[in-house]
Amino acid sequence: MNDNELITAVRESVADVRSATPVARIISRGRAVRARRRIPGVAGTLVVAAGTALAVTTLLPSGHPGLPASGHPGSQPASARLAAWTVAMQANGDIDITINQLQNPAGLQSTLRADGLPVSVSFSGPPLSASCRPYDTQKDVLSAVAQWNTSDDGAFLVINPKALPSGTGVAIFDEPGAGIPSPSPGTPRHGSGRPAGITRPAGITGPPAGITGPLSVGLVYASQQCTG
Amino acid sequence: MGVGNQQLDFAEFYRSAADGCLRAVLVSIGDQDTARDLVDEAFARAWASWPTVSKHPAPEAWVVRTALNAGISRWRRRRREVSVPDPDRVADLPAVGEASASLVDPRIMAALMRLPARQRQVIALRLILDLDTARTAEVLGIATGTVMAHLGRAMAALRHDLQPELQQENRS
Repeated sequence: MNDNELITAVRESVADVRSATPVARIISRGRAVRARRRIPGVAGTLVVAAGTALAVTTLLPSGHPGLPASGHPGSQPASARLAAWTVAMQANGDIDITINQLQNPAGLQSTLRADGLPVSVSFSGPPLSASCRPYDTQKDVLSAVAQWNTSDDGAFLVINPKALPSGTGVAIFDEPGAGIPSPSPGTPRHGSGRPAGITRPAGITGPPAGITGPLSVGLVYASQQCTG
Repeated sequence: MGVGNQQLDFAEFYRSAADGCLRAVLVSIGDQDTARDLVDEAFARAWASWPTVSKHPAPEAWVVRTALNAGISRWRRRRREVSVPDPDRVADLPAVGEASASLVDPRIMAALMRLPARQRQVIALRLILDLDTARTAEVLGIATGTVMAHLGRAMAALRHDLQPELQQENRS
């Protein structure tokens, strides 16, 4: 076999491989990259907590007040950019959420709901409103719904609405009461409780400056009062 | 360049370069699903920096380099999270991703995966992306002589690996 035959064989070995991603999807993903680059100082770690919820620690720039944020209509197909957080709907239905500061939870909640995600967002007070009921589930189910991703441009939360169990929604909340023991599985809780299994993530010794505790994600039973 | 023209310009580049970049990254890493995701991510980053990337002398090389770097970053993150598989089961794992098997020649892909990573990258850039030696050296940050040495060794190893099979194929 001479060099030309070998080169031809190598080229032909992958000749049938073609990109199937539409350019519109690439551009949408590129917009999310561009939006994340505009938000400085975001980093974080997602830890699968014992039980059935994810906990996310978001590092906030100390003493850096966020700009006033406002409600935003649905983010599809481009990204919504706010100082405190950004939401970007991906072509595959995933929702990328970058939270820079724990401000304007109502705006984030309405933006996510406009994107079709049943969600309750709380950055202060009780983790869940009185109308929300935590949904007990397995860790892998929750992991399929919420993932913490990082890129060279920062860190962001990815929600896959298609992975939500029927009749459930997502709760995103600050957890100033970190360290509270996990509730017993199966124990019904209403109002002041948290989605089952939330505990302070192991290995996190204290909240970074400017944040009161880990930002957590859990599942709740969907209802008009709780998740819209 | 206006936003509309910029988008058209990028779309044209994507249409002309996407297949080649995907094949180059696939030859470098061996798994088609991962290659697709890395190349998509690299093109997304190219779009986000298109005013700069479009001026690059070989933007498709920029995409491939970015995709390979993204793959290395992922591996570094995940190696801390994924436990080592059971050694007894490793032998059963396919040499290339199952999804790749339907579109690639498994013998040649397996031979490529037996090459050192740097030799695979040289093959990807020189033979699949059709870059010249100087550009390949620039993208990989190595000397042109090193590129030629890697290419020569890779070709010799592939020839040694594939020749018996191809000869047998020709006889039958």
